Amino acid sequence: MTRRGYLGEMELMVLLAVVRLGDEAYGVPVSKELLILAKREVSVGSIYAALERLERKGFVSSSVGDPTPERGGRAKRYFRATPNGVRALKTTRAALTKLWSGIPLLKGGNL
Amino acid sequence: MTGKESSPPGLALWLLRHTCPGEHKEALAGDLVERFREGQTRSWFWKQVFIASTVSVVGSIRRRWPLFCYAIAGTIAMGFEPLRQVSASLHSLLHWSDLPWPWSQLIFELSSPAIVALTSLSILAVGLEITRSFRWAYLLRTWIINLTLIAIGHYSIDMFPWLLRSVPGDPYHKALIVPGAMQISLLVSTFLVAAWLGCPMVEHVDKSERRTAER
Repeated sequence: MTRRGYLGEMELMVLLAVVRLGDEAYGVPVSKELLILAKREVSVGSIYAALERLERKGFVSSSVGDPTPERGGRAKRYFRATPNGVRALKTTRAALTKLWSGIPLLKGGNL
Repeated sequence: MTGKESSPPGLALWLLRHTCPGEHKEALAGDLVERFREGQTRSWFWKQVFIASTVSVVGSIRRRWPLFCYAIAGTIAMGFEPLRQVSASLHSLLHWSDLPWPWSQLIFELSSPAIVALTSLSILAVGLEITRSFRWAYLLRTWIINLTLIAIGHYSIDMFPWLLRSVPGDPYHKALIVPGAMQISLLVSTFLVAAWLGCPMVEHVDKSERRTAER
């Protein structure tokens, strides 16, 4: 994997949220997922910037839903992780696990 | 909420539409409206729009760094005396002044910017190659647009004679009264607009990134 194939921290969190949400992954639930699970209040614009980068890298694909009145007649854009995206997640997890293991300071619950 | 309170700020939506390029801007606007109608405040909405616009503009500039390099190189080269001398040498060598009017005048006045733009295109070419967006058509298009913009700027000055003042001791030349910093900004903008219009490079970056990811 070259430099561009790596996942940045924001990309990693957004991609994980997309995978967790399955068919319901669009901007609003992704931002709520990050707030609830990661305790990170991320602006919707930053989430879309990360999603656009992931899409350019081929890690997510998107499709347009139907327009709804509560969105002012605007359609939702649903995102879905591609096989390349899932592979990138596994590669990142493996790399992080290797880096994490064998550090005495990080063993146990408290630092 | 009353009718007005349940409507998101129209100006903020307009700003979002005009500062966020790309296919996701409608979905982003829809998401913000949805959150707003769930109970978020107008100040929250404005903050979200401001962040989205900033992120979008910064991302756009970062993707197009070769265009900025070209604009800066072109502006510096415009004040580079040896390049002007190349133009003067070509004049005397190729006898362009023998051409019929208006060609002789056009070449006399635009040959120097043409050579400067041509030289600066090497910087643009290297930048496009690094970002894997190089196309000969981009360079040609940028060069033509750049010359056209410079020509428009050059000849439109005649419509504003109050912007010109006589140069002491030289009855044939006039200088602009516009401050130097503004002249430099205008020149940078001219090169930048030319490159921006000449190099629609975003799609090619997308393809190269996708190819990288698929490996």
